[in-house]
Amino acid sequence: MVFAATLLSCTSGKKPDDQAFEQSLDSAKTAGPGVDEEVINAILEQIPSPLEISVLLKESGSKYNSTMLNSSNNLPKYNSNFKKALNLGVYGTDLGYTNIFGKNQDGIKYISSIKSLADELNIGQFFDVETIGRLATNSKNLDSLLLITTMNFNHINHYLQSQSRDNLSVLLLTGGWLEAMQITCQTAAKNPENKELQEKIGEQKIILEQILLLFSFYKEDANMAGLLTDLEQLKTAYDKIKINYTYKESTMEIVDGIAVIKDNSTTTIDITPQNVEEIKNITDSIRTKIIS
Amino acid sequence: MKTLAFVLLFISSLAVGSNDLIDQCNADNLANSCIPKLASGFNFLKSYKVDGEAKDKVEYSYVFTKGTQYMINVCSNGSATDGIVVSIFDKERNKVATSKINGQFITAIAYPCNATGIYYIQYTFDEPSAHCGGSALGFKR
Repeated sequence: MVFAATLLSCTSGKKPDDQAFEQSLDSAKTAGPGVDEEVINAILEQIPSPLEISVLLKESGSKYNSTMLNSSNNLPKYNSNFKKALNLGVYGTDLGYTNIFGKNQDGIKYISSIKSLADELNIGQFFDVETIGRLATNSKNLDSLLLITTMNFNHINHYLQSQSRDNLSVLLLTGGWLEAMQITCQTAAKNPENKELQEKIGEQKIILEQILLLFSFYKEDANMAGLLTDLEQLKTAYDKIKINYTYKESTMEIVDGIAVIKDNSTTTIDITPQNVEEIKNITDSIRTKIIS
Repeated sequence: MKTLAFVLLFISSLAVGSNDLIDQCNADNLANSCIPKLASGFNFLKSYKVDGEAKDKVEYSYVFTKGTQYMINVCSNGSATDGIVVSIFDKERNKVATSKINGQFITAIAYPCNATGIYYIQYTFDEPSAHCGGSALGFKR
């Protein structure tokens, strides 16, 4: 019922502070004149969930490490909408990481931080803290917890896009991606023999290109332009990475009523430990600016 | 878990249903109804509206990752898929998967990705079809 209430509240009238909030975002709203919002939304929809990386990290055998995550104590530092949106994404990734590793007590701290930031951005009605908090108390609820958390973040992104607040959606996704990058880079540094993690870092070149494309629409926003400059530094490091794609026709068969595909195409990633180190250092530097 | 998820999704469908009285195609509801139909072990990623009443295709894109298995399913108001076919194309627009095999309409595709990149998830309609449905994307390692 809480979930229904949160969704119903989405359709209710504007709160008194909505107008002030919208005015505070006006400069960012006009940052991309002539840009089709559908194009921005289509790119936003491409960005994969940081949850995919958290699952990979767990299945690669790496150990849970809470010191890699952003402390929930940093919350009071986030005074601008720019920082709030970025760190909402950061904490979202941290929550997914704690959930995947079954560290629910750590996760509960992030639920509280996420709710605070979402409320301050006037999107708190989409984050069902009561249900998520209840599910987080029992590790047997992991599937439901992941489902509801993912749905909540999807609702937030769809709402922001429908309200022409794409800039916040871009920041939320970028914060989440950078946090996942940072966790992956740190884990890879501790497990230099793990080639899959190195490849995973190399593959992020594709995501970075999409994020840079998104930021190019908001160059007139000083905060976003500043972050774009930092991300372009990361791109310089990624320019040394080569992703080679070879297409080969796939085959399919029906198994238990499901079309099961055998993908015969391949990608290979040319990345060295030195490349990983450089990417890690730049990512750390950008992420430190975001969470400070 | 499935029961709880279904109850939550059912309630959410009711909550957004007020807008659907106006629309003929309840693509939102159909997309939500597809989520609990993802096979066991798959983590939900996205739900997609397939509202093609005025179009001959609906398309989304997503970055698929090597080493991850994805599942995409299709839901409709009519029988089975109601002529909705979901196909996956790679960045070069090569078709790598489809839910129509030998004339048979399949409700879900399991795609173990072997090549990281941007993929296009395209929904088309084999007539007769109401051009209205929903779909969900999930993943597992």
